[in-house]
Amino acid sequence: MFTTLRQAMTWLHTWFGLVFGFILMAVFFFGSLSVFDREIDRWAIAETRFDPQPMPAFDAILQPAFAALRAHEAEYQAGQALVSQPLPPPEELKPADWGAYVTHRDPLVSIWAGFDLPHAKDPDGHNHVHGWATLDPRNGQPLSPGQLKLGSEFFYPLHYSLHLHWNHLGYWLVGLAALVMLAALVSGVIIHRKLFAELFTLRPHKHRQRSLLDAHNLSGVAALPFHFIFALSGLIIFAGIYLPVSDSTLRPLAKAHEEIKAARTGLPHKPAGIAAPLASVDAMMASAKARWAERGMPGEVGYLYLNHVGDANGYVSIFRAGSDRVTLVGQGVHFAASSGQLLFEEPAPGAIGGIYDFLVGLHLQHFEHWWLRWLYLFGGLAGCVCIATGILFFVEHRKRLHGSSPLLRTIDAIGISSISGMLLATAAVLVANRALPEAWGHWQEPLFGGCWLLALLHALWRSKPQGALRLAPAWQEQCWGIALLAVTAVVLNAITTGDHLLHTLSRGYWPVAGVDLALLVAALLAAMSARYLQRAALPARSPLGVEVHHG
Amino acid sequence: MVDTLLLLLALAINLMAMAALALAMPQHWRQLSRQPLSAAEQRRLRLAGGMGLLLALGLCLHADHPSMAALVWVMMQALSIVVIALLLAGRAARR
Repeated sequence: MFTTLRQAMTWLHTWFGLVFGFILMAVFFFGSLSVFDREIDRWAIAETRFDPQPMPAFDAILQPAFAALRAHEAEYQAGQALVSQPLPPPEELKPADWGAYVTHRDPLVSIWAGFDLPHAKDPDGHNHVHGWATLDPRNGQPLSPGQLKLGSEFFYPLHYSLHLHWNHLGYWLVGLAALVMLAALVSGVIIHRKLFAELFTLRPHKHRQRSLLDAHNLSGVAALPFHFIFALSGLIIFAGIYLPVSDSTLRPLAKAHEEIKAARTGLPHKPAGIAAPLASVDAMMASAKARWAERGMPGEVGYLYLNHVGDANGYVSIFRAGSDRVTLVGQGVHFAASSGQLLFEEPAPGAIGGIYDFLVGLHLQHFEHWWLRWLYLFGGLAGCVCIATGILFFVEHRKRLHGSSPLLRTIDAIGISSISGMLLATAAVLVANRALPEAWGHWQEPLFGGCWLLALLHALWRSKPQGALRLAPAWQEQCWGIALLAVTAVVLNAITTGDHLLHTLSRGYWPVAGVDLALLVAALLAAMSARYLQRAALPARSPLGVEVHHG
Repeated sequence: MVDTLLLLLALAINLMAMAALALAMPQHWRQLSRQPLSAAEQRRLRLAGGMGLLLALGLCLHADHPSMAALVWVMMQALSIVVIALLLAGRAARR
């Protein structure tokens, strides 16, 4: 079929890149937004616009909140299938473990609890249901229900799961797409004839295919290490889902590993079945902080975990927030829950553990480094440009070779909806967030999906190439839509919360000012693109769509 | 504050280094100069570019923990390449 390696690689790059490019576009774009997910949360929920807080006191704030936490309704219903007798009401389920997590960028604390299921059908199975909440750490009050944390609860999971939860379908699609990304990068390097000679080459005024290919190569090659490491580390983070050996073929081995680990660390693997009180967790947190300071790395508590709650075998694990390191959290210190005695202090990770922690940490980026955060946003958006220009090049190249066909127009329309349509839906959900009454918060997600679907229908309808540019008119129409919605979102934020740009900038409140400014820049770019397409498409004024750029 | 200044300096040096490496390529040299690029000039530009990148790495390592500095430096390369390519493309458009 192929006579040369380059031909084979071109085929792989073109077709796999096209099919998965539509998914990768969403993965890269929402990944880029996730760099600032907590800032988007602040924009979306006005009542949470206050300064980041450290881990709150356990005895006064967290313990009462944990005690009030119940299993989530959907999990509780699903849990019925795992037991042989009807489940007791949620408030009677016994908690098994509690966790609390804070980061240096978020004023809120996330907590969750696992609850034991009595009368489990499979005693070795995962017989737990979970509940979770977000609290104001200053007073322990939960966030009012219906409030969607748009950045960390919607855009961020969209990045890795596409919100397709059936049988983990979204995770698998994103995993496949990441694998294809790696293959596309390697094959792209092989088929690129002048990787170094054309490293700085961008010729926007040559013919369209040349310019598109230049932009594709530039955005792909300049950020090649970023693209490669992020696709790879993304796969590593979800390796447990893609290669679930410890839940399937190697289950006995995984169980034995857990038991040996428990014996080595002294952290009980199973509850004793004897009730026991809880010593002061605040004292344990203070002790953990003192230990970190002794090791020359003073820090704050990032993650608190209590296992076997209320049992004699219970223990409390305290992890250091990795604000000043690439690694997420670490330096765990574990205490016996009933006595507060030190059980185990984790040593520094070995070589493999260290590499794993580094790769996961650099992807999940909970460090405090604004430079790197902005550079990541740049890398992510470069990925978007690379994928978008790849899709556009495919369509334009074939249009030129074979003319327009219904199939090509459909591919073009899918491309439009996965590029400008996705931006349109994102701007629409931000508008909905500010325009909908609080109690209707749950409408944001279906609105987002509906808007994206409408963008696809619009692109299919308006896909016939028109004017001198021979481009689908859907492009410029959707660009106008993005500009309009982005400005509307900024205006609505000012009206509904009073935090207009003059106010947030003078106060130096960057989470909200930053989102507003980003929206205005996006609106400007979208309007400029729309205007460029509109003027370039006029046959009389610019037959090649070139002159406008010289003006 | 000192770290921010160090990183700003690193970025500025990194951009200049990338500009030198780009100018060491005949096709980009021609975009800026009517004189042909001599072999000695090309060598000097490459040397300056290489040294600049190393100096920027040194500044990054001075500002942050090594694991963080490595990431910052790699991402600075991506940004610098794109900025230089855009500047050269803008220059080509004006001529």
